[in-house]
Amino acid sequence: MLSLSKQQHTPASRQYVIRTMAFMSGYVAVNVAAIFGAFDDIQGKPAAWLLAAVVAAPVAGQIWATLCFMRDSDEFVRAVTAKQFIVSAGAAMALFSAWGFAEAYAGAPHAQGWLIYPLFWAIFGCVAPLVRSSN
Amino acid sequence: MKNRLKLLRVERNWTQEQLGQALGVSRQAVNALETEKHDPSLDLAYRIAALFARPVEEVFENPHG
Repeated sequence: MLSLSKQQHTPASRQYVIRTMAFMSGYVAVNVAAIFGAFDDIQGKPAAWLLAAVVAAPVAGQIWATLCFMRDSDEFVRAVTAKQFIVSAGAAMALFSAWGFAEAYAGAPHAQGWLIYPLFWAIFGCVAPLVRSSN
Repeated sequence: MKNRLKLLRVERNWTQEQLGQALGVSRQAVNALETEKHDPSLDLAYRIAALFARPVEEVFENPHG
């Protein structure tokens, strides 16, 4: 979405911020718990599949929040948000694809698949202030 | 798309915020239109023209004309 510091705070943008923070908190909480070994006991058990679904849920929720934000915004904000999202997602996928091949053929260290989500947001943070036109 | 939106707005002493409210769009949208960073949809172009009681082509330059 448009960078918040320069954005007019419409009801849609306020709702988007609240939803984003809620979903991000869920995602971060699961990852922090994993880092501190909270799920070490379920490795190799069926519950591990449930954990995988749990960590994916906030990501899906974030997509829903973004779509709601676009639906409730005007045509300019909608177009710019879509452009920012496409550029960020494209760059994240390109980087991760390159890294995958670098792992396979160039001996690059392994990067876990879940890293694509924080990578996407890191790129989004860099891209959003630069993409300000719908043209 | 070149347009006379800023001129028309300033003639009426409206802020971008006020114009945005009258049109049902954000201030950023008005700013983007004025600075040619957004080409309006046909619907928005007609809404703007109706608000200023002008034909669309008096507000937006026809790029194909």
